[in-house]
Amino acid sequence: MQADNRETIFVEDAVVLQHQPLPAGQYLMRLAAGDTASQALPGSFIHLRCHDDLPMRRPMSIMRADAGAGWIEILYKVHGSGTKKLAAARVNDQLSLLGPIGVPFKQNNYRSKPLLIGGGVGIPPMVFLAERMCKQTDKQAGGVNPLVIMGSEIPFPFTPRPSRIMIDGIPNHVTACMPLLEDWGVASRLASKQGYSGCYDGFVTGMARQWLENMDADQRQQVEIFSCGPTPMLRAVAHLAQAFSLPCQVSLEEYMACAVGGCAGCAVPVYQNGKLSMQRVCVDGPVFAGNAVYPLNHDVT
Amino acid sequence: MPSGNEQLAIDFCGMQFNTPLVLLSGCVGFGEEYTRVKGFSNRDVGGVCLKGTTLAPRLGNVPHRIAETYLGMLNSIGLQNPGARKVVDEYLPKLDFDETRFIANICGSTIEEYVEVARIFNDSGIDAIEINISCPNIKEGGVSFGNYPEMSAKVVEACRRVTGKPLIAKLSPNQTDIVENARLCIEAGSDALAVINTVMGMAIDVERRRPIIGSNQGGLSGPAIKPIALLKTHQVYQACKDKRIPIIGQGGIASTNDALEFFMAGATAIGIGTALFYDPLACKKINEGIVQYLDKRQLGHVTKLVGALELNSGAVEDCGGG
Repeated sequence: MQADNRETIFVEDAVVLQHQPLPAGQYLMRLAAGDTASQALPGSFIHLRCHDDLPMRRPMSIMRADAGAGWIEILYKVHGSGTKKLAAARVNDQLSLLGPIGVPFKQNNYRSKPLLIGGGVGIPPMVFLAERMCKQTDKQAGGVNPLVIMGSEIPFPFTPRPSRIMIDGIPNHVTACMPLLEDWGVASRLASKQGYSGCYDGFVTGMARQWLENMDADQRQQVEIFSCGPTPMLRAVAHLAQAFSLPCQVSLEEYMACAVGGCAGCAVPVYQNGKLSMQRVCVDGPVFAGNAVYPLNHDVT
Repeated sequence: MPSGNEQLAIDFCGMQFNTPLVLLSGCVGFGEEYTRVKGFSNRDVGGVCLKGTTLAPRLGNVPHRIAETYLGMLNSIGLQNPGARKVVDEYLPKLDFDETRFIANICGSTIEEYVEVARIFNDSGIDAIEINISCPNIKEGGVSFGNYPEMSAKVVEACRRVTGKPLIAKLSPNQTDIVENARLCIEAGSDALAVINTVMGMAIDVERRRPIIGSNQGGLSGPAIKPIALLKTHQVYQACKDKRIPIIGQGGIASTNDALEFFMAGATAIGIGTALFYDPLACKKINEGIVQYLDKRQLGHVTKLVGALELNSGAVEDCGGG
């Protein structure tokens, strides 16, 4: 089983190319990591040593990867001792990372209306996935038309702007979007309960439900949900997908030690074919079927 | 002067080890997981201890299973494993025994279970069997055996009856007299000793007023426990060296200097666990560092370091002063 996995994870001394502070203790970091960048896929993560004084690494989702230029980008929020030390990293500092790690989101045969839902630090993989989808769209007959819904209870890690892309089923006053996605031609909308201008006043799942309820059954058949974010949000997203009988993939996070499948420290309960197993978020995931980790009426976490 | 590889190759209970390093049970899955990492090779170590294995499959403990602590980490995996039969039938055939020696790690909640698991591995291609008498995470299992020398010895004795493969008793630091435990395990037929397993500990999330670990407590590993492990290795070596029972010294070893300390304290082999989480390529670096140390002092082979510690005189009264 393992032979074809050999030498798929690289150990790199990555140089910090950019490190940009954003509102509310959030940071955008670009790292020169050519091997990781060349193999990274949406859902892949790195295991990053934040500082020499803290040998335990932190798993971080990859937000963007440029194979040609050899860089990756991560977005993080200062939360504990590791990210606090990471925030002090300067351009040209060197950080050890392992990457890319994990089973990514599916890479093809998308339904025509993918719905990407990202919450907080779960936003980065949704950006990566949206970028790959829009790049693939040009090549595909019929095309893929993703909608990205993002939620945050702290200021978004970018400056929202009113979208020029109309979306059926989303209230007219909800106009705030992520400029980067808009520039790629990907529709996006933002949700928050903090009263931010142009945002949906509520949870991401509330806005997603409205969007889904506005469709007829045939249109809904073209929807597939991809999500990353805090556990309560992911559970709600997975349950929403099951309520509408839609396929759904969620990317999980869990405390990790090795991140290569050796320690089973990150294992979570997963139901498959009516059977419970413990699967490792690092190499069996981080992407799992939503109904396998958050089955309706059968939560154990 | 022999080359690096010759300097590091050792005989361990009749097994030929490429180097004195041993990857520790619970850190490297069932032997292949770290080969995902480019640059890592099982050939850099003498042995790989597979994940703790019970007779029946176990799902293990609920998340969170790990917590970072100062200079270390807690873990409480709960012996998640697919059961001995499946390990032997489906996992062992996929291992490359040309690369290194693979060592099973067996656990049970009764002596009969230990024996049955030992019997299953005895009828396999596994190179040796480590007895996890000190597994601290399972309430009905390891801790009650490993913390009592007589109970530990009974497990070793029972397993000894069903296998001719090298047996390694893995001793717990969570007991009053590890030396007595070592002595009884040797008398019961253990061919080698692993010193030490993790030290039990706890971490609390003060916001939630709950332990971070899902099963409340866990085994502490990493550099935080190295001085404890080093002393236990020294004590066990001093008490047992006449019996020529080799020790795998383990507990927080993360550098060449750490490894050298354990050799001098009496370890024949060096266990590497949590250090892999810090640096998956640590073994290569430690091997190179050991060779450099040997060459600089023209010591030749690594076995020259084993038990080479020279003790200080201690109290002033003991050295003729005052």
